Amino acid sequence: MSDYQCINLSSNHDVAVVRLVDDRVMDAGRIAMLGEELLSLASTHSGGKVLINLENVRFLSSSALNKLIVLEKRLSGNGGYLKLANLRHEVAEVFHITQLDTVFDIRSTEKQAFKAFDDEDEAPVRPGS
Amino acid sequence: MNHHDSWFLNRTIASELCVGNQMILHIVENLERIGWPEQELFGVHMALEEAIMNAIKHGNRECPDKMVQIVVEATPTSFLLRVTDEGTGFDPARVPDCTADENLELCCGRGLALMRHYMDEVRYNEAGNSVEIHKSRRPTT
Repeated sequence: MSDYQCINLSSNHDVAVVRLVDDRVMDAGRIAMLGEELLSLASTHSGGKVLINLENVRFLSSSALNKLIVLEKRLSGNGGYLKLANLRHEVAEVFHITQLDTVFDIRSTEKQAFKAFDDEDEAPVRPGS
Repeated sequence: MNHHDSWFLNRTIASELCVGNQMILHIVENLERIGWPEQELFGVHMALEEAIMNAIKHGNRECPDKMVQIVVEATPTSFLLRVTDEGTGFDPARVPDCTADENLELCCGRGLALMRHYMDEVRYNEAGNSVEIHKSRRPTT
């Protein structure tokens, strides 16, 4: 876990909780590294639950959005779940403009995201299965 | 408004992503200096990030022999940016609509959509290697 430079990783029960280190996710080199680290995370948590808390993110470019999309595809392709939480208003607007709020499961708070994970566990049929 | 309230830049930069990043921050800092508030700078920052990075990455393909020209004319109520690369250009009409259901997970077209949302005007030259974006705002009372 300590090998990551662009993300801070912790866990809450069976959910991997990720926070981005940079508040402005715009440097091309850092975004490339972020992408690699998210893919590494997808491998180590294949089929698992990942929550990305974007609370400290004040700016992110479309290149950074692309890295999140790749992570979402990788996780969901292996039966895992990704949720985003705690987006600042401006950042949430970016997801809305690009309609990525229909791709990602975005929750207002970490607590709501954890509850959604729990609700999915209790559901008799997994969405999309 | 006096001359301290306006800012003009005409700079040619190398097609390197780190140089582009520095230029973006330089422009944002100067807009902040002449009175652009943080809540409006977010959209401007997003648009100029996409315009400059597109020129470096997709226009000049980060070729060290090719340069990117950046022109900014800014006042507390108006922002104009023109970015010109040395690439072959592209047809913005052929960029996929990133908000269409079938394109939502594609990794292209999002930057153009963001520029169009945050700016009042996004205009390409005929060759498609130069983009001009403009935004006006009401002065703070």
